[in-house]
Amino acid sequence: MLEVRNLSVFYGQHHAVEDASVTVGADEIVVMLGANGAGKSTLIRSIAGLAPARPGCSIRMDGEEIAALPPHEIVEKGIALVPEDRGIFGDLTVDENLTLGAFPDRARGAEAANRERIYALFPVLKERRRQAVRTMSGGEQQMVAIGRAIMSAPSILLLDEPSLGLSPLLCRDLFRALAEIRTQGVGIFLVEQNSKQSLAIADRGYLLENGHVVGADSAANLLADEAVSRSYLGAGEA
Amino acid sequence: MDILILGILLGGSYALMALGLQLQYGVARIMNLANGEVLVAGSFGAFWFWTGLKLSPFLSIVPAALLAFAANWLVYRYVLRPLVRRAKSHGQLEVDSILATFGMSFILVGVMIAVFGGEYFSYSYLARPFEIFGQPYGLNRIVAFGGSAVLCIVLALWLTRSRTGLALRGVAVNPTAAGLVGIDVLKASALAFALGGAVTATGGALLSAFLTFDASLGVIFTMKALIIIIFGGVSDIRGAIVASFILGIVESAVARLIDPGLTLAAAYILFIAVLLWRPQGLFGRKSA
Repeated sequence: MLEVRNLSVFYGQHHAVEDASVTVGADEIVVMLGANGAGKSTLIRSIAGLAPARPGCSIRMDGEEIAALPPHEIVEKGIALVPEDRGIFGDLTVDENLTLGAFPDRARGAEAANRERIYALFPVLKERRRQAVRTMSGGEQQMVAIGRAIMSAPSILLLDEPSLGLSPLLCRDLFRALAEIRTQGVGIFLVEQNSKQSLAIADRGYLLENGHVVGADSAANLLADEAVSRSYLGAGEA
Repeated sequence: MDILILGILLGGSYALMALGLQLQYGVARIMNLANGEVLVAGSFGAFWFWTGLKLSPFLSIVPAALLAFAANWLVYRYVLRPLVRRAKSHGQLEVDSILATFGMSFILVGVMIAVFGGEYFSYSYLARPFEIFGQPYGLNRIVAFGGSAVLCIVLALWLTRSRTGLALRGVAVNPTAAGLVGIDVLKASALAFALGGAVTATGGALLSAFLTFDASLGVIFTMKALIIIIFGGVSDIRGAIVASFILGIVESAVARLIDPGLTLAAAYILFIAVLLWRPQGLFGRKSA
């Protein structure tokens, strides 16, 4: 269980995120919707230790405070981030990327099992295991990125706009894979700019505006809400 | 043929110092301008082993590597890490580290002059001819080449096969992602910097078997290592090794066919040609 309480992140004088509170349970999919620049990336990067939170904020993982830890220690607590630029090692092969994914101590024991899990989820990666990742397509790179994160045996998987730059077909496959990962007991928190598909697989959703959480509801209610559709799902566009 | 073999023998010894700088620049992201001084310190170590202790200069590799590892680790930990923490961008770190290590190179030159004096040094060890294809070559060159080749292969295997080696390559490719997979990037950088220093000092000990050196020769080797890693690509071991051989062959060809005094000029011409036509390195790809 990931609990974020009153998180604020400042860039200089500008507050990118202010007083945001979010929880993600062990086997639910939670999506945060927000426009470009609403602070979604900052929020999710801050949870992973890439953007320093203001003192006094609380980020707890299974009750343990992790707000001031560096990224490599947060991974050990069971939180894995797939950043917007995917966070993969372009010059290395698929296999090497997955091996590096299992670098945390918590992941060593289950390395072989997790690798099989990923190859079962994304069979194309097994075929291309010796290929340098930078030579692969965007969709395949996103699979490597998710695979690399799963290799660290996370309890909570964070994804920053995973559907960015993918075709609708690839998006569908991606969200299907995320739903599958959830059934294996991994909680998923993703931020998305404008995606009905993400809400369709989610249990709950948050709305983020100018760094503030302005709404929270079940995914079904958010999908049904006209105002939400207009502002966040692109349905109102002419 | 003669030129080719001499060049390959020389290039093999260059490869080690280039890999040392590559670890420091590619992984730890410190452009270490004191790299050549560490190499010369290794040469002095070998000289002292042979003339002072009457031990084979090749035996000096072990203490030289250990000592250089420890010294470089301390330098990274206490001098360079504050710069890494402070740097807001890669560019700023590059400028800061170049200035800091440039200063350090003067300190090292000064210390070596104070300890050993300013004259030229060389020693005679295994200075027997050894025939390859009917031509005699110094046995010391061949043993130095062999030692360097073995160490390069061990290092390359370690970087590709071991988990720690893979972690260092991960940091070289993408430091942010390295943190996200649980690698302590600062620790990995310190290890790479220390290891790079150890490899360079070893290279210096091997080179001294057939090279005359003095305390201020380091800067020339820094430049040669720089030429090799720019030529070969900043994070590509294969590229650095091939580039070392090319530099060795070019230098021995120029020395033999034109004038020995022009070897350094030839190296710079090669460097400028690379910067103009292939700035991404031999096997490198164009950066976006």
